[in-house]
Amino acid sequence: MVSESVISARDVRMSFPDGAGGHVHAVDGVDLEVARGEVLALLGPNGAGKTTLLDVLLGLTTPHSGDVSVGGLNPRAAVQSGMLSALLQTGGLLPDLTAGETVRMIAALHADPAGVDEVIDTAGVRPFASRPVGKCSGGQQQRLRFALALLPRPEIIVLDEPTAGMDVSARHEFWDRMRAQADEGVTVVFATHYLEEAEQFARRTVLMDRGRVLADGPTDEVRARAGAAYVTVSWDPTAAELARVPHVVRADREGARTTFRTEDSDGLARYLLTATDARGLTVRPASLEEAFRLLTEDSPATGETEHPVLVADSEEVSA
Amino acid sequence: MTVATNPRAHVRGGYDLGRYIAMDFRRNLRNVGNSFFVIVLPTALFLFFGASMDWSGEPVGVGNVSAWTMIAIASYGAAMATTSMAGSAALEIQQGWGRQLALTAMPHGAFIVAKAAIAVAMAALPVLVLNLAGVFTVADMPPGVWLATVALTIAGSLPFAFYGLAIGLSFRSDAAVGAATGLLVILSFLGNAFMPLDGVLLDIGRFTPMYGIVALARYPLTDGDLVSMGGAAGSDPLWMVLTNVAAWTVVFAVACLLLQRRRTTRR
Repeated sequence: MVSESVISARDVRMSFPDGAGGHVHAVDGVDLEVARGEVLALLGPNGAGKTTLLDVLLGLTTPHSGDVSVGGLNPRAAVQSGMLSALLQTGGLLPDLTAGETVRMIAALHADPAGVDEVIDTAGVRPFASRPVGKCSGGQQQRLRFALALLPRPEIIVLDEPTAGMDVSARHEFWDRMRAQADEGVTVVFATHYLEEAEQFARRTVLMDRGRVLADGPTDEVRARAGAAYVTVSWDPTAAELARVPHVVRADREGARTTFRTEDSDGLARYLLTATDARGLTVRPASLEEAFRLLTEDSPATGETEHPVLVADSEEVSA
Repeated sequence: MTVATNPRAHVRGGYDLGRYIAMDFRRNLRNVGNSFFVIVLPTALFLFFGASMDWSGEPVGVGNVSAWTMIAIASYGAAMATTSMAGSAALEIQQGWGRQLALTAMPHGAFIVAKAAIAVAMAALPVLVLNLAGVFTVADMPPGVWLATVALTIAGSLPFAFYGLAIGLSFRSDAAVGAATGLLVILSFLGNAFMPLDGVLLDIGRFTPMYGIVALARYPLTDGDLVSMGGAAGSDPLWMVLTNVAAWTVVFAVACLLLQRRRTTRR
């Protein structure tokens, strides 16, 4: 597969004063290559540096060091050419303009804009086009921002938590519209802190935390690493039995229940229910925050699951 | 989508700044509160203090006292308009509109140009309304002088577009813009706009920003001669008036350029 890079970032670093004399490294040495037509999720908890990285890609912020090019141009030139466009997280609208006027005003500022009526229809702004922006709901304002992002007829769209504040149906509708863009070959880079959004929409996921890239690969693989689960059973194993259990990162015993942290809940559950007398099995997916903690803690031990550590209440450890 | 070459890669400009200015001007005009303070209030001030006093008809230069007062209140209204327009620009920045604009083809500098143009268009409104009020009351000047002062009054409000924008870009709050507009009353007083100054106040006033633009707008009427409660009180040479205007324009414009650089930086 020949993939041409449309976004190329090398060793991007950006820090802000933390107000106490030091610096917060919002983006701490990030490398990123995005191929044309790719749909990429930038996944991470709040404060991971996603927004700062996107600002750098859009030329809204100049990084302290590192090189960024978009379609062979610097980010600002890419924006001015209309090749690169974005849907920003919050703000960015004038409350006393109507939605339709907002689209027309921004259209005037692009070199070669799409038709105003066309984007108003594509983004679903038509029903409230004559309403002042200040009186539009959060979901409607987000649709308006989407319309603005479509105006320059971009080849690359950057979305910063585009569905924040939307209800479930608005979220589905939004991603349907976005998928239509991706199907036409538009490269999409979006930041989210919802694992499921990355799963449903992105073929590739970059996992970020504290300004660094923790994982980068096909969403399924990243999910397998980030999507750790907890399997809990009623079981009273011996130490030898416990050591034979596969796919276990860590085991905790609390009374009669044993909880396993795992990266393969299916494989572990199959083993527990067929090869041992464990009963009452429950599976709980790890939250994204837990997954991030696992990834940062366990990075040297990836795949080394043959020798789980038993951590239990003090009385039982002595047994 | 084929890719080998990107025909849009080197497109520059092409955006329609005139259309943006026209749309933003209409938006500001719709703001009733703004329009009232900028247009109605100075006109009322003039009708009360400039058109109905005993001395309104007394001669000054080639016209009368009413014209002398009208020019200065028009300058005050125009400066309020530009400052207040800059205030709305500050709020736009606060709401992240600046980031939205930074995602268009419009370069940073064009934003200042657009806002200054809108501010001057807004400034023209009180000037036109006040001068019409003057025409229909007792203000008197030869027609050529009249046109010259109108043009100079509008032009003189340009530095205050930069003044308001600089305040707005620095403080990013309604209150700061309100304070900046309020300060114009004092600056206008020191600028010899509301009543003739003399002595120390006049010496101080000569260095304040309203003084230059008011004196410049009055120049066709007075030829630089000062008015005093007790008769003629000296004269301002044209170079001094122009130096005041130029110096303050440079100060405000440079402040804007420096502040604009951090426009898109996140807080």
